[in-house]
Amino acid sequence: MYDLIIIGGGVAAFAAAIYAGRLQLKTLLVGEKVGGTIMLTDEIANYPGFKKITGMELFLRIKEHAQDYDIEVLEERAESIERQTGLVRNSTDVPEPADRRNSNGAVGFEVVTKDERLKTKTVIIATGTHLRKLNVPGEAEFANRGVHYCALCDGALYKNRVIGVVGGSDSAATEALLLSEYAEKVFIIYRKEKIRAEPVTAQRVDRNKKIEIINNTNVIEMKGDKFLHSVILDKPYKGSNELKLDALFIQVGQIPLSDLAAAAGVATNEKKEIIINRDCETNIPGIFACGDVVDGRFKQAITGVAQAVTAAHSAYEYVAGL
Amino acid sequence: MAKTIVYSTETCPWCHVAKDFLKDNNIEFEAKDVAKDDAARAELIQKSGQLGVPVLDIDGTIIVGFDKPAIKKALDL
Repeated sequence: MYDLIIIGGGVAAFAAAIYAGRLQLKTLLVGEKVGGTIMLTDEIANYPGFKKITGMELFLRIKEHAQDYDIEVLEERAESIERQTGLVRNSTDVPEPADRRNSNGAVGFEVVTKDERLKTKTVIIATGTHLRKLNVPGEAEFANRGVHYCALCDGALYKNRVIGVVGGSDSAATEALLLSEYAEKVFIIYRKEKIRAEPVTAQRVDRNKKIEIINNTNVIEMKGDKFLHSVILDKPYKGSNELKLDALFIQVGQIPLSDLAAAAGVATNEKKEIIINRDCETNIPGIFACGDVVDGRFKQAITGVAQAVTAAHSAYEYVAGL
Repeated sequence: MAKTIVYSTETCPWCHVAKDFLKDNNIEFEAKDVAKDDAARAELIQKSGQLGVPVLDIDGTIIVGFDKPAIKKALDL
């Protein structure tokens, strides 16, 4: 039986593993796709100790650090978390706190993969997010045929072309800046008046002659033949609702991957984020959560990693109290 | 050994992950940078019908994205 199973494969999951390793918890990390969304980030300039580092490099450093400790990694999808019945406690001398028992009076969980049922005393959920889609006609049809979600991955394919970016967040602005290194022209198409980029990013956008912002406008359709040729806007731009584009990159936010947690009874909010307290505890004793999947207002690698360390420490204290 | 081609760009993180996976498993492969090589870009479109990378061609089996189970299956790992 494990002391801790961490579900997830990104920086938060591996940061939790570092601390669980330090605290000598018998730890297994279960992650379907090791790397997470940070892999799609070109430049990170707000992680203390690194003036500038790519998302992939930061992830690989954290992963390597975690694997210096005695932890196990299973690259599989966790299909469910089930509360276990009939587990033996560490000590029969010390009464268990009532809130650490499930309805059957037992402690612990099983994390179920396609081949195994893995027993553990605690779980940390660090499942992250996936990229939100725009959900307009043509999006699925032209996916990877002009419609993309990662400038770092696919932007270089559009040298000297005209590209659109949908969204107004700091991520959208950053994608536009990266794409401007390849493209002839980049339009940021945003539904509101002013983009929400951090001041340093907004300043770089303002100064970039290749980038133009089309504000108060939505993309309502994508058109083309084999590949994307244009998008339809809900308001005319220079007299036309049709804007010719060679590619459109979509950056309209992220959706927490919390279905697994919710199915186990973990409380989530209206945005599907897992609700945690400042010790990264969920509503279920023994289940902790951290990273982009939780209800933090500010989501960065650094905040996710800090939560991960807290979650691992809370799991340690929980196990010690059994 | 299977003939393996990886279509990629220099900046694409999952392309690096895919190449590292092949190296770790001692699989020889040819890497084609579709951002620099127009012929490779045309080949990518002809083989996969799309422009997302990485794409792996393993003895004619076309795999879009770093789909580890599919790559392992194609390489019999």
